[in-house]
Amino acid sequence: MSVDRADGTAAAPQATAAAPAGATEDKSGSLGRNVRRKEDRRLITGHGRYVTDIELPRMRHVAFLRSPYGHARITGVDVTAARDAGYRVFTGQDFSHVVLRAQSALPSYVETDQPVLAHEKVCFSGEPVAAVVAKDRYRAEDGLEFVDIDYEALPATVCAWQEPEVPVHPEAPDNVLLQRTFDAGSVTDAFTAADLIVERELVTNRHAGNPMECRAGVALWDAADGKLTFYNGTQVPHIVRNMIAELMGVPEGKVRVVAPDVGGGFGVKAVLYPEDVALCLMAREMPGIPLKWVEDRAEHLLAAAHARDHRYLIKAGFASDGTLLALEADVTCNVGAYSVYPWTAGIEPLMAGGLLSGPYKLDNYRCTVRGVATNTAPAGPYRGVARPASVFAMEAMFDDAAARLGIDAIEIRRRNVITPEDIPYKMPSRLVDDSGHYGECLDKALDALDYPAFRTEQARRREAGDNPIGIGVALYNELTGLGRAASAGPRMPFRTGHDACTVRINPDGRVTVISGITSQGQGSETMIAQIVSDAIGVGYDDVDVRIGDTDEALWGFGAFSSRQAVIGGGAAHNTAVAVKEKLVKLAAELIEAAEADLRVVDGEVYVVGEPKAQISVAELARVAYLESNRLPDGIDPGLDATTFFDPIRGAFAAGAQAAAVEVDRTTGELRILKYVCVEDAGRAMHPQIVDGQIAGAIAQGLGGALYEHLVYDDAGNLSTGTLLDYLMPTSAEVPDMVIGHVSHPAANPIGVRGVGEGGTLGPNAVLAGALRDALGIDVNTLPISPASVWKELHP
Amino acid sequence: MDISFSVNGEITYLQVEPRRTLADALREDCGLTGTHLGCEHGVCGACTVLVDGEPARACLMFAVQADGTSVTTIEGLEGTDGQLHPLQEAFVAHHGLQCGFCTPGMLMSALHLLDTDPDADRETIRDEMSGNICRCTGYQGIVDAIEAASSAMKQH
Ligand code: FES
Ligand code: FES
Repeated sequence: MSVDRADGTAAAPQATAAAPAGATEDKSGSLGRNVRRKEDRRLITGHGRYVTDIELPRMRHVAFLRSPYGHARITGVDVTAARDAGYRVFTGQDFSHVVLRAQSALPSYVETDQPVLAHEKVCFSGEPVAAVVAKDRYRAEDGLEFVDIDYEALPATVCAWQEPEVPVHPEAPDNVLLQRTFDAGSVTDAFTAADLIVERELVTNRHAGNPMECRAGVALWDAADGKLTFYNGTQVPHIVRNMIAELMGVPEGKVRVVAPDVGGGFGVKAVLYPEDVALCLMAREMPGIPLKWVEDRAEHLLAAAHARDHRYLIKAGFASDGTLLALEADVTCNVGAYSVYPWTAGIEPLMAGGLLSGPYKLDNYRCTVRGVATNTAPAGPYRGVARPASVFAMEAMFDDAAARLGIDAIEIRRRNVITPEDIPYKMPSRLVDDSGHYGECLDKALDALDYPAFRTEQARRREAGDNPIGIGVALYNELTGLGRAASAGPRMPFRTGHDACTVRINPDGRVTVISGITSQGQGSETMIAQIVSDAIGVGYDDVDVRIGDTDEALWGFGAFSSRQAVIGGGAAHNTAVAVKEKLVKLAAELIEAAEADLRVVDGEVYVVGEPKAQISVAELARVAYLESNRLPDGIDPGLDATTFFDPIRGAFAAGAQAAAVEVDRTTGELRILKYVCVEDAGRAMHPQIVDGQIAGAIAQGLGGALYEHLVYDDAGNLSTGTLLDYLMPTSAEVPDMVIGHVSHPAANPIGVRGVGEGGTLGPNAVLAGALRDALGIDVNTLPISPASVWKELHP
Repeated sequence: MDISFSVNGEITYLQVEPRRTLADALREDCGLTGTHLGCEHGVCGACTVLVDGEPARACLMFAVQADGTSVTTIEGLEGTDGQLHPLQEAFVAHHGLQCGFCTPGMLMSALHLLDTDPDADRETIRDEMSGNICRCTGYQGIVDAIEAASSAMKQH
């Protein structure tokens, strides 16, 4: 990959694992190198296996009938015509005994129910109300025409900061499902002492993860065993298994969830949806018949999780030297019609309140966050959860204050940012920052941008009256790999700190790893194979990784919160180390050498100081499984282990982004001249994958900042229901980026920090900052469209 | 309706409803699931195949419209000996794919681009590939890969 790295070195060329460098010094590792991804061969040749590709005997197809109303009472359901036409139809009444109820022990949280198929009323446009089963997808969609639902429209609320006429849920008459105040220090006193107070109202745009593969599922009920198999394009197969088992009253061992290749997730697929549950319930009603549901994009835009629809009323107090003295905020997040299952309506507001102050030192903090229900699609996790908005809000305070105090925008950040000397730094929300490397990221980012050159060019253009340019920056911290202590926030009935991994050396000496992690494009198989091959000392190509099947893997919470490299990777490492201990013990006995003197390199066991291998891993494996006659006393057969890993705390990943942007005075369009990001991934296990995660995340952030906007009309109809209205960035809009790294290994077995989400956090703030720098205008509402800029230019 | 067309060089006879899309015919009737559906309304490009050498959105085309044509899908890109096409090789080498869902469509569009404009520079690549959406990569690896494939193909 020809990504320029800010450290001036070119990305390492692609290579496969090298031959052993020698008996004693182990340089044969695959970690840190761009080994060929395990996934690529099948994906590049059209042989991927996505849920939509599954074809089973006797398979039937399902289509969902969806509410055309944002808010309405259901007054009649008539399925006679559909049944007469030969369709199998399910309606809300059929499954009224099952509800999705996202739980949290937070004091203010109002628990509400989400039906599997709506029956009393519909709460958002696109909510499923009935399902039709037919022999193919065309006929299933035909069948929807025969289902008659009568509605009595109710007034809809689509804005979270407007009084509802009729609340979404009677349990929450003001639509507020959750409210919490973070409070530290003395905000009132600090504001009194402040030389400058800046105050803004900021509104961010609703958008969504929109993976290229929409949602999909195939469910099959085996009547003989009372067992459900559910192929599901999910990020969280074990959580799905746990929840499906509970909702259906089936023993967990009789539910198998399989996530095969998944075409992107970004959080959207970390949710258990009512359609998923409906599909499984229907399958139980139709034993032996596999039921397949493939969502189309219009359904996806209507009913898969939305995100980022927030308002920040924010106020910051500064001393005259730019020191941030106090921060006060009131944050409202539109959580949509239902409290997203199982994460709850707290997912965005709590993240916003917990991380608003980001990488900046702050003693006096008061922030009230609330999640408010509306008649819109439920909001759920989306890459970066809340922080693209909260970073935008925080950075706006600094840009604003810098201009008013006459301090350089970079300088004011330097004066306030958490430094390595402050570590561990307890944030006002009581999260503990273990990084502090923001200044270093910023320095590298400005170097890579060539900051002084753009400042000169900016001055030149001002003089010449050319299209203006502006420079924007954002600093952020990404809390990744949350262990049990750090994942306590939302007080859900489960703690997501750990994952399990099984490592087996097979009788032929090759290795099979069964990991609890999942992949939606992150190259998880590759990463796990790298970790395990290095930890044991076998070739990368000799390790096969199996993921995504709950009948195989013991446990994994799945992909969210940039957790898998840290937690699933840590579990793989520790398990491989445990297997290696067994291997070395066996070898030591067989070749009569001391364990401490043995090195395993590329599948061969060496004694320190001797150039020739003494025994191979394959031979040891043969003994372990097939030749118990050669097994030394006290050593059991087999070469395998299964262990759990929990990092207890999390690993903060520091990041800085900066860009130079040109504004076209005639059209109001922004043109990104250069975009730079520097992040601390700790130890980068596969540099290409790390850069790819960052580039992909930034592209999504740019999409959110400039183009993507899910818009509802007042009646609750989604007016951006296709990809012609909901604009995702293409190769023509996303610029080449410069991605750089600092590398400060975290305190976990492989020293990694998560990088899955950080990239999304910067673009809103960077582009808004650049616009302010170019034209002196405040961006208070996102997205930044040519029209909105043009209006500012021509008031 | 009875139709016949060549798919990756093989003559195929199908009986399809007039409303059946080419994408569904390829995926379900021919078992070629490499052609993906990302939007089913002609915007994302995931379903791109070549019909008589021209890129077409298989989600917008009816199978009956392909009657008598020659269709190339992602499954036809790899050599019969399992040798990857330079574009495929370049996508792997330059990390031009993550989840792989957009990839078949990307490759078919890129194939056509390099066929018609072997000297495409970075900017042209970015413009010409803008009919294919990728949500994962941020496009950087894809543009790198196409650039690299273009020089690799010229050397051959
Ligand atoms: S599926 Fe055909 S263009 Fe999107
Ligand atoms: S690789 Fe996932 S959409 Fe392109």
